[in-house]
Amino acid sequence: MSSYQKNKPEFNCADIEEYVQQYLDNVLDEEKKRLFEEHIEYCLPCDKKIEFERKFKEIVRLKAKENLPHETIDRKLKELLENLY
Amino acid sequence: MVTDKQKEFAKLIEPHLPSLYNTALRMTHNQNDAEDLVQDALFKAYRALDQFQKDTNFRAWVFRILVNTFITAYRKAIRQPQKVSYDDMEEFFLYKRLDETVTLQEVPKEEFLENLFDDDVKEALDNLPYQFRLVVLLCDVEGFSYNEIANIINAPLGTVMSRLYRGRKLLQRYLWNYAKKRGYITDEFLPKK
Ligand SMILES: [Zn+2]
Repeated sequence: MSSYQKNKPEFNCADIEEYVQQYLDNVLDEEKKRLFEEHIEYCLPCDKKIEFERKFKEIVRLKAKENLPHETIDRKLKELLENLY
Repeated sequence: MVTDKQKEFAKLIEPHLPSLYNTALRMTHNQNDAEDLVQDALFKAYRALDQFQKDTNFRAWVFRILVNTFITAYRKAIRQPQKVSYDDMEEFFLYKRLDETVTLQEVPKEEFLENLFDDDVKEALDNLPYQFRLVVLLCDVEGFSYNEIANIINAPLGTVMSRLYRGRKLLQRYLWNYAKKRGYITDEFLPKK
C-alpha cells in the first residue's frame, strides 16, 4: 500500500490558486476540500493568502451593507402598502 | 383599507426590504432610483403572488423579480457591456500588491482591509460592470448560493462562477487603486526591487 504513496493525489500551490474561490464559497466536493486543507495546513504562504481572501469577502459584506434604520423600513413598508392595488 | 392579501404580502416582504434596498442602491447608484426600482419590483411581486409556490424560496423569488425589473428598466443604459481586460486578473491580486510594498510588510495585511472606508468599498462595487456587480452583491453581500444566483439572474452556473470570480478580482484591483489615490499607499512606500 505504502509503495503507492508517491502517487497519492496532492494539491500544490497552483491548485490552491485555482480552487481558492470555490473553497471559500464552500462548494468544493469532499475530496478536493480535503486536499485543499491538507495543503494549506503545511504551506504557510498559501494559508496566509486564504485567510486574507476570507477576510476580504467578510469586509465586502460588512462595508457594503447599508444599515437602514427601523423607522425607515417601517415607513417604506407603509408607503408600499398604501400604493398596492 | 388593507386587505388580507396585502397583509400577507407585507409580512412576507418585511424581512427582505433592507436587502432589496441595498441591492437596488448599488445597482442604480442613487437613493431615488433605488426606491423606484424596489417599488416597481414589489408591485410586480404582489401581483404575481399567486404564482409564488408556498414553501419555496421567497427571498430568491423576490430578488429574481428585482433583477428582472432592473434589467428591463435599465436596458438602454446597460446595453453596451463595459470592456474588461481579463489579461491581468490574477488571483490574490491585493495580497500580492500589499506583499510587494515594503512599508506594509510588517503590518498584518488584514489591517489594510479593516481600514478601508465603507464608501471606498461601495464606490468600488458601483464601478464594477453591472453583470459582475450583481453577482458579487448576491453572493458576497446577500449570501445567496451559486444555484440561487443562477436562478435569480437566469444564467448557467458556470456563468455565475466566472462573473463572481472576475468581479471579486476587479474589486480588489479597484480598491488597490483607490488606496494609492487616497494616499493610504504613497509613492514613498517603494515596492521591493
Ligand atoms: Zn502553497
